[in-house]
Amino acid sequence: MRAPLLRTIPIAALILAASCEQAETPPEPPPPNPTDAQLRQTLSVYGVVPIGPTPVSDPALVRLGQALMFDKILSGNRDISCATCHDPAAHLTDGLSLAIGTGALAAGGARTLGPGRRFAPRSAPTLLNQGLRAYEVFWDGRVSGFGAGPFETPAGAALPGGLPNIVAAQAMFPVLNRQEMRGDSGDLDRFGNINELARFSDDQLVETWNAVMVRLLAIPEYVTMFAAAYPGMAPQALGFRHAAAAIAAFEMQAFTRTGSPFDRFLDRDDAALSPAEKRGAVLFFGEARCSQCHNGPLLGGQSFANVGVPQLGPGTGAAAPLDLGRAGVPTQPNQPPNDFYRFAFRVPPLRNVELTAPYFHDGAYPTLDAVVHHYNDVPAAIQGFDVNQVDPAIRGTYHGSAATLADLTQHLDPRVSTPIRLTEAQLKDVVAFLKSLTDPAARDLGSLVPASVPSGLPIR
Amino acid sequence: MPARHDVRPRLSRLRLRAIEVAAGASLLSLTVVTTASAQLITIRTVPISQSEQFEFFPSRNLGMGGVNIALSDTLLDPFRNPADASRLRGSRFFSSPGTYSVTSDAGAGRTLPVGAYLRAGQWFGGLALAVQQVDASRRNVLQPPIFLEGDLTPPALRPNRPGLVTDPTLSPGNRTHGNQFATLMLGRDLHRAGLSLAGSLSWSGLNAVDGVDLLYPGSQRVDQSGHALDLRLGLLKEFADTRSFQAVVLHDRFAMTHDVMYLDQFWDPATQQIAFRQRNDRNLDHTSTWGAHLEYQLPLAAPGWRLGWLATANHMSHPKIPNYEIMNIPGDPGTSNAFNLGVGVSRRDGPATFGMDIVYEPIWSHTWALADVPIATTGGSIPAGGKTVENHFRFSNTLVRLGLDRELPVFGGRLAAFQLGLMVRSIGYHLNQDDLVAGSVRRQNESWTEWTPTWGLSLRFPEFELRYRGSMTHGSERPTSSFGGCPNCFEAVPGGIVVAPSGPMSLDPVKVVSHQVSFSLPLR
Repeated sequence: MRAPLLRTIPIAALILAASCEQAETPPEPPPPNPTDAQLRQTLSVYGVVPIGPTPVSDPALVRLGQALMFDKILSGNRDISCATCHDPAAHLTDGLSLAIGTGALAAGGARTLGPGRRFAPRSAPTLLNQGLRAYEVFWDGRVSGFGAGPFETPAGAALPGGLPNIVAAQAMFPVLNRQEMRGDSGDLDRFGNINELARFSDDQLVETWNAVMVRLLAIPEYVTMFAAAYPGMAPQALGFRHAAAAIAAFEMQAFTRTGSPFDRFLDRDDAALSPAEKRGAVLFFGEARCSQCHNGPLLGGQSFANVGVPQLGPGTGAAAPLDLGRAGVPTQPNQPPNDFYRFAFRVPPLRNVELTAPYFHDGAYPTLDAVVHHYNDVPAAIQGFDVNQVDPAIRGTYHGSAATLADLTQHLDPRVSTPIRLTEAQLKDVVAFLKSLTDPAARDLGSLVPASVPSGLPIR
Repeated sequence: MPARHDVRPRLSRLRLRAIEVAAGASLLSLTVVTTASAQLITIRTVPISQSEQFEFFPSRNLGMGGVNIALSDTLLDPFRNPADASRLRGSRFFSSPGTYSVTSDAGAGRTLPVGAYLRAGQWFGGLALAVQQVDASRRNVLQPPIFLEGDLTPPALRPNRPGLVTDPTLSPGNRTHGNQFATLMLGRDLHRAGLSLAGSLSWSGLNAVDGVDLLYPGSQRVDQSGHALDLRLGLLKEFADTRSFQAVVLHDRFAMTHDVMYLDQFWDPATQQIAFRQRNDRNLDHTSTWGAHLEYQLPLAAPGWRLGWLATANHMSHPKIPNYEIMNIPGDPGTSNAFNLGVGVSRRDGPATFGMDIVYEPIWSHTWALADVPIATTGGSIPAGGKTVENHFRFSNTLVRLGLDRELPVFGGRLAAFQLGLMVRSIGYHLNQDDLVAGSVRRQNESWTEWTPTWGLSLRFPEFELRYRGSMTHGSERPTSSFGGCPNCFEAVPGGIVVAPSGPMSLDPVKVVSHQVSFSLPLR
């Protein structure tokens, strides 16, 4: 009986050897490729969550808002509507580095500055997904607030109550801005008549709003549309806030585009993003530091940063020809600018960013590729900005003095003050990710343009 | 700065561990849900032990580390090979209430089995029933209700309406669930040939498999339901010189459904807030196993010594594996071929018994994921139904068991015995993962070792036998959900975004402690 035991010993030895082999700690494996699970967890950390449905508005209110959005009757000179600078053909912006307001010349479909006019200090931000309602609007966030308010606005106590949301609060202001819609005192409108809206002083906000309403309610079709949108309300009780609320309802209903591949990924479709887009996403939310600012459900829209954008344009406020951005918005009345926000502008939400060139508050960069190269080494980009990449009409407004560049660099946001040094391949992946934020339905918004508006003014 | 240097590598390892777990979890569900694990080979890719949940029938040897290759376990062996019930010469009733618990409040269970072995002439059989209560491995917490009410948000952000989730059916569910088990065996001795043949049918109605709820981090509630069915045909040949040969063929079907409820965050434009909506995922965990098992025991020349060996082969097809939250392999099917080869020796020297087993388990497993829709890849595209990920696992596991038993005469003609044992299980695998979408290959080695000291006491009275056995498994781990997973996660997240308490899984060491008291008494 000894033989079986002897035969067993080699087997046991082999098994013990295998056991010893297992006891060894294997070397730490190399970092794996990012997984969908890893990316999802990272998104969770940065508060990037799916977008829920926008509330459905009263169709009559939306119809009224659409008419107002495209009707030049709202402008003092009857030559510009909201949709002129937020043109569906240009994805609800105007494709310009700096916006051109009232008094523009239109030749071959391109708007240029009219005689005696100047560029607006900033670009016209897209209204795509305006209905998702970030906390602040305008490049300097001068209108902010939650829910149904109260809202912080330049109008202060003059802002009427009852505005339903921040989009409506925002819509109160372009009609007050002389450069954008109201016009200068002494302007004649497109028919050669006196621009009565421009006659009010800049602090007569309520009077201006009321004057716009007088215009609107002089048009029977608007009377009918307001009555449908606000049934039971006497015409004399209607104010411009009701028009603004209608414009907001239209924006929220019609301008929301959240069907991008990235949104599908957020809705748990792992296949929605290509490998390059996923690599770009991992960079975006990691090494590239983009998500340090572009975070939250909207990928931005909730903070301000000086990311070293070259100063272009006429500037605004006391600092003109510079544009101090958020620092130019006093936190308290009669308070000096807050240097903490010097040159800081709103971090914009990024959905559909591919469609809304040029980029930054003054349209300094024409492509996403140029934008990511800027971020890759911001201090170097400030010093080496090539002004030839912007529209020739505004090249002369570039403020590239050594003092300005030093000022800009000195106040850089710490998150971008050191180079990131991504490779060209990585930068391409980041751009691929940014393009994955595009909802295909946002590419052609032509269906939003009505055939006509109640005033009978031309839409284009 | 020094602090950051200290933290970064640690977090890096944590992330790595989380990723490893994510990939490996795809096979966890192949843990055998049976009370007779010897012929069904468990495949585990994460160190989450589940065996204590299903080791509830009485045993003579579990206090000795569970040695059984060269040392028969007359109480437990019939559940492994129903033909072994023929060794019980009379009819006996038994019960073996037991508990197990995982430290850190990470799971517990209580089981009450009752059963009887019956013999009538050449026929023998058995019936065993068990009810089990299992505490979930984590507390089912509905994402804090105060969170739902908006109390964690600044007052300015709170919604005007009273609560974002108002579904009254939304509840965290019970933490404790019940399982039921039934085993029926029937066999016949063929004395002339020294053969016994028997078959058994085991059914398990399952509402809680320990540890499963931990594989869905971020979920609010996991409801399990399903069953396991185990069919066995066994043969026992006992020779006159005390040699014995056993053979078992088996078929095992395991089908579980995991209904997992999540509360997903979303941005509610109406309120300008992050709100929650309910999402229910149904995950199926199906595995079918065919197996064959051979075992041989013989006495050695030296007095009291016995030698045994065993060989087992399992072929498993798993058409559906849960789509765990922590993994990136959706519902992957696959096949596995698992084997074990073992050798054991035992020695009985008067009142003392010693036993040792060594078992080697080579396992090959192949799983894959299929594309639901055409997917663009780095170099082309994958059509719907094509493979997107392939995982090739190569396991090399080893099990060593040692134990001794010493009988002590006590007063009144009673006999007492104590047992001590140690079971060491080493699990190691190599994963070769081909990501056909990204065009990447990942190779990974993972291993861990579990140590289980065991102990036991028994008292044998003329009328009945009373046993106690206990064990404590070291080396098991339990997942904990944590924040992280981003390269900059150690830095403050800007923007004040409210983050859900879900994150990649990391594993914390736990101990699994089990106690069982069993008694058996002759029926006639």
